[in-house]
Amino acid sequence: MTAPSLRLTEQMFRRRPVIGAPVAHGASDHLKRSIGTFQLTMFGVGATGGTGIFIVLQQAVPKAGPAVLVSFAIAGIAAGLSAICYAEMASSVPVSGSTYSYAYSTMGEVVAMGVAACLLLEYGVSMSATSIGWSGYLNELLNNLFGFQLPHALTAAPLGPDPGIMNLPAMILIIMCALLLIRGASESAAVNSIMVIIKLGVLAMFVAIAFTAFTTDHFAGFWDKGFTGITAGASTIFFTFIGLDAVSTAGDEVKNPQKTMPRAIIGALVVVTAIYILVAFAGLGTQSADEFGSDEQSEAGLAVILQNILHGQTWAATILSAGAVISIFSVTLVVMYGQTRILFAMGRDGLLPSMFAKVNPRTMTPVNNTIIVAAITGLLAGFVPLDYLWDLVSIGTLVAFITVSIGVIILRVREPDLPRAFKVPGYPVTPVLSVIVCGWVLWGLPPITWLWFAIWVTVVLSFYFLWSRKHSALNDGGDGYIPSQVPGDDDVMFVEEPADHHFVTKHKDEP
Amino acid sequence: MTVAVGYLARKCGTSPLYLAVEAARTLKTTLTVITVVPRPWMTPSLGRIDAEYAQYAEQLATDSAKQAQECIDSIADGLEVNYHKVAHRSASGGLLEAAGQLEPDVLILGSAADGKLGQVVAGSTADRLLHSSPVPMAISPRGYRGSRAGGLTRITAAYPGTSDTLHVVERVAALGERLGVPMRVVTFAVRGRTMYPPEVGLRTEDSILEQLAAQARKMLAQLKTDAVVSEDVELQVATGNGWGEALDAADWQDGDLLAIGTSPGGGIARVFLGSRGSKILRHSPVPVVVLPG
Repeated sequence: MTAPSLRLTEQMFRRRPVIGAPVAHGASDHLKRSIGTFQLTMFGVGATGGTGIFIVLQQAVPKAGPAVLVSFAIAGIAAGLSAICYAEMASSVPVSGSTYSYAYSTMGEVVAMGVAACLLLEYGVSMSATSIGWSGYLNELLNNLFGFQLPHALTAAPLGPDPGIMNLPAMILIIMCALLLIRGASESAAVNSIMVIIKLGVLAMFVAIAFTAFTTDHFAGFWDKGFTGITAGASTIFFTFIGLDAVSTAGDEVKNPQKTMPRAIIGALVVVTAIYILVAFAGLGTQSADEFGSDEQSEAGLAVILQNILHGQTWAATILSAGAVISIFSVTLVVMYGQTRILFAMGRDGLLPSMFAKVNPRTMTPVNNTIIVAAITGLLAGFVPLDYLWDLVSIGTLVAFITVSIGVIILRVREPDLPRAFKVPGYPVTPVLSVIVCGWVLWGLPPITWLWFAIWVTVVLSFYFLWSRKHSALNDGGDGYIPSQVPGDDDVMFVEEPADHHFVTKHKDEP
Repeated sequence: MTVAVGYLARKCGTSPLYLAVEAARTLKTTLTVITVVPRPWMTPSLGRIDAEYAQYAEQLATDSAKQAQECIDSIADGLEVNYHKVAHRSASGGLLEAAGQLEPDVLILGSAADGKLGQVVAGSTADRLLHSSPVPMAISPRGYRGSRAGGLTRITAAYPGTSDTLHVVERVAALGERLGVPMRVVTFAVRGRTMYPPEVGLRTEDSILEQLAAQARKMLAQLKTDAVVSEDVELQVATGNGWGEALDAADWQDGDLLAIGTSPGGGIARVFLGSRGSKILRHSPVPVVVLPG
């Protein structure tokens, strides 16, 4: 590795070269534009919908009171605006669709590292936290089915307010997901659809039963928690809309993206928000807002509500818990997948040690990477009560989304002629609005979240200045070619020259 | 030494015979046709109840030998052919027994009849042997009728790039040198499936594939640097969305033979086909030889 000869600022803001035609052109070669509005909307609903709602009400209702319904709407609008900006970014930069890659290609290395910090925080915390939620619902399910519960010592973290020894089910879930990912198993579109149906079905059941115990009395004092409460609720809720960005990255397979994308994003958003609000509305009608924060409901909240409504009858709670156990499992798998792929991209770009980018030839998956992720998040899930830190997920996502929206503006100014399959409608109002709304939601987060976030970002950026900066793949005098496109057209790659130890493959697109 | 081929009349066609004749010619050795017939009960009984069955078995053996002979005569002149009959309770058991006795260079079987023409399909007999044979096993694609060139024109070694499979490349290189046949080494890289919802974009697996292919190219180039294979050996990385696509992407030619190694998890010096091996086998458009681990 040659010593960096660039000035620090040059190094910090150098951008990853994008090689290959922009998606707008390149994609049409081997990808058919086949997805229509309805399909894309359903994809969005599937990608976003549901799991967070099993966990979030217990966190958000105590903050916002019954006005949590408004919080949902605000979070939804913020998510929608970001998703639209995300779509333009995805259609103008032909790299795989993570915020990290976009930031690296448009705003420079140090920004990419910051965004990576956000994403790692988002994925890491949400993985650990969902697995803790899973543990709660699993215990509820075991109790209802077999009258048997894992002892408290094995289902609670030692550092929480009610300490146990460790959260064993949460750790087991993470190990299971890691094994599946190492084996190369993946949740297919079909499985995802089934998961969505299970989630929606279970939520529909919840709503139907909850309405039998509905009283408007519980909505008294709707605005009591005030504007601050609503904002705080919105920032906690925000993470339940993660996944909407999946729609944005599907851009180059979409027919007529300029029309389809915003319709699908808004469509998916309306459906998802409606489901959330309906669930929250039904839940709020059954009990007063304060009860959501009670200890009894801190685990498997929705199931406990059902049990209370049905006066101890457990069948409905059992079904709901079963649905939650299945769907939270699938979400944890997907989030862990996202986490390993981000680390993979960073390892490939030289911002993390190259072991993160090593693909095991036997399993054809990044094994080391997956094991490291599983070890860290597993320990976190087992010993730290991260379910109280949902806000960290939201802060990571929000900051990443703000970066994307700013990136859209930067790219428009710097490269106005870049071909874009999709352009944000109402530019420059939309991206600016997106930044403002996300900023507003951010503002509702408590100081402790900001503190943790600041510590984490500082750690990651220190790592960047001490290590990554010197090892970046862009250091090698410009020949650190980073492939951005698939070998789709030329499936066969011939190895011609016998390699020395510095084997850089020529690519046909390489200038 | 000889080339052994398992053949039974009315089962799996004559494709293994074509492959066996080619193999025997290439290796300049004899050909042994093994026919496994059901073993009648040896219990003496007054009524000789099993006589008819024994007769049937005998007839089957004769028929098979006759059919095989007709076929071989029509395609090969001057090849020394032996016929070997084994009575055994199972086809695979009989073939194993014969393989133990004859110690052939290679044991050849045909594809099962339930695949498409041109496809390699391991039937139940082949499947057991692919997990226990002490000698290399070759499977002919369904309906194989020999190469137009009349023999082997190239051996392709599948090499996943792990150190414990290096022996496959070494053995194929030695064989290629002995027979004077060109060789190539192919690494198959298969794209993982996209996860929904992806969180990191729908295309993220592409970069993993790209990295896998880059690593594979390095490993392959290393073969030449370390002089495991000679300079004129063709090296290739074939990528695809699935095993079928990857196999298609590696260009095949008339008279090609694909050599794969077996799982190191199996017993010593036995064929024990692993999960990836069986996927390669299933999608191969050319005859496959499976080498013991």
